[in-house]
Amino acid sequence: MTDTRNSPRGFTIVSARGLALVTAVALLVGLSLGFGLSRVLGSGSPADDSAEAGFARDMTAHHAQAVAMGMIATKKGYSHEVRTMGEDIAMTQQGQIGIMSQWLRDWGLNNNGSGRPMAWMPDGDQVLTNGNLMPGMATQAEMDALQNATGKEVDRLFLEMMIKHHLGGVHMVDAVLEQSEDPDVTWLAKSMKAGQQAEISDMQRLQETLAKR
Amino acid sequence: MSISTQGGEQHRPNVVKVGGKPAAGAKPNTGGGKTPPKGGKGGGPKKPITPVKVNQGRNWGPIAMFTAVGLLAAGIIGWGVWAAFRPGGAGYGWEGRAEGISGITHFTQDFGREHTYDQVKYEQSPPVGGNHSYAWQTCMGNVYDAQIPNEHAMHSLEHGAVWITYRPDLPADQVAKLAAKVTGVEKMMMSPYPGLDKPISLQAWGYQLKVDNADDARIGDFIGALRVNASLEGPTALCSGGNTATGEKPLTEQQVAALNNGGMQG
Repeated sequence: MTDTRNSPRGFTIVSARGLALVTAVALLVGLSLGFGLSRVLGSGSPADDSAEAGFARDMTAHHAQAVAMGMIATKKGYSHEVRTMGEDIAMTQQGQIGIMSQWLRDWGLNNNGSGRPMAWMPDGDQVLTNGNLMPGMATQAEMDALQNATGKEVDRLFLEMMIKHHLGGVHMVDAVLEQSEDPDVTWLAKSMKAGQQAEISDMQRLQETLAKR
Repeated sequence: MSISTQGGEQHRPNVVKVGGKPAAGAKPNTGGGKTPPKGGKGGGPKKPITPVKVNQGRNWGPIAMFTAVGLLAAGIIGWGVWAAFRPGGAGYGWEGRAEGISGITHFTQDFGREHTYDQVKYEQSPPVGGNHSYAWQTCMGNVYDAQIPNEHAMHSLEHGAVWITYRPDLPADQVAKLAAKVTGVEKMMMSPYPGLDKPISLQAWGYQLKVDNADDARIGDFIGALRVNASLEGPTALCSGGNTATGEKPLTEQQVAALNNGGMQG
């Protein structure tokens, strides 16, 4: 009690002002505790313009196109290897999209960033092609070509486009690994990198195999 | 802690001891009790102050305890308030953000969500929700240069897409500006819409905004608030797959079947 006065008869009078002051101090303490603890315990839930949030949003868009390619390959691939590859990539990346969108929800962030795509990457604007396309992404015309291809052409286009897509994806993963120490983000980013690098080798070998077939 | 009363002259001193120690070392008028009451408003004639034996020795234990508990309680409330209202906090409010866009219409009716191969009559133009085709319109940032069937577009809105429509007579530079907001952005699509009553209209499930100009800042606000967020199936609903057919009428059952048998689509 900061502001108590004793009346001559020994009454303890806690003034309204004193009570208000104490309440205000307590609220301030509570607020700063909340703020401080969230920084320490939550290791700072990433902000709207953080590399983590940018990565979650942009890698979601990047993955979504890989899912599109993978599903086309699953349905229309000429060789069973390409059909399996497409299924594997589509399902894996769709699952990862789910993880990344949950991050944004946990962090209390919008799915839509207020800035340009790739603004979180040091070379952000340079790597964007054709307006909003991130590294390795196919244009609408290229996607249409894959969709409309038939026979062995599906396999050829798919492998070519997905290798390029993965190389761009690994570039984005490297950018977030350089900037983030968030354990969830770095964990998923590392598994993306390892997985996509292995798939790039697989697809390159498959290109050689199919060329001889 | 003493229970304070401002009872006035006629009350006997009424100090209740919580700690329960006997009023042993009580001395009259010690410890800060020297100050006479200032500004006692009703201050009538002062009665002679009779020394009364009261417990003046403060019982600091309970005071400290109640103070600590009070601080803790207020602190917890403060933390809760902070957690709920911190910027972009736990309740990221896309709905409030959407409602805040001037000129936006939020249709709160109970839209149907049934799948059908039939043509559907929609109440809004362009429609913002309702029964729809089994096949959705591919909404991977697709820029369609011709009309797309409403029945396909509604399935895309259900998946969280924002659909930009424009009157076919919109100048090419305006169309290009709109296309720049769509190209390569999944959960976005765009198409001309014959008979549109305004130059440009944006749709998400349950929401519509009509504007005159592609430079209107509210277009970005609409996309920012509603893209993905307005999805009825969460953020992982698909915009890939589906179909890219243009035209007035939805695909027939045979055409949709062909989509899923690998290829053969228009």
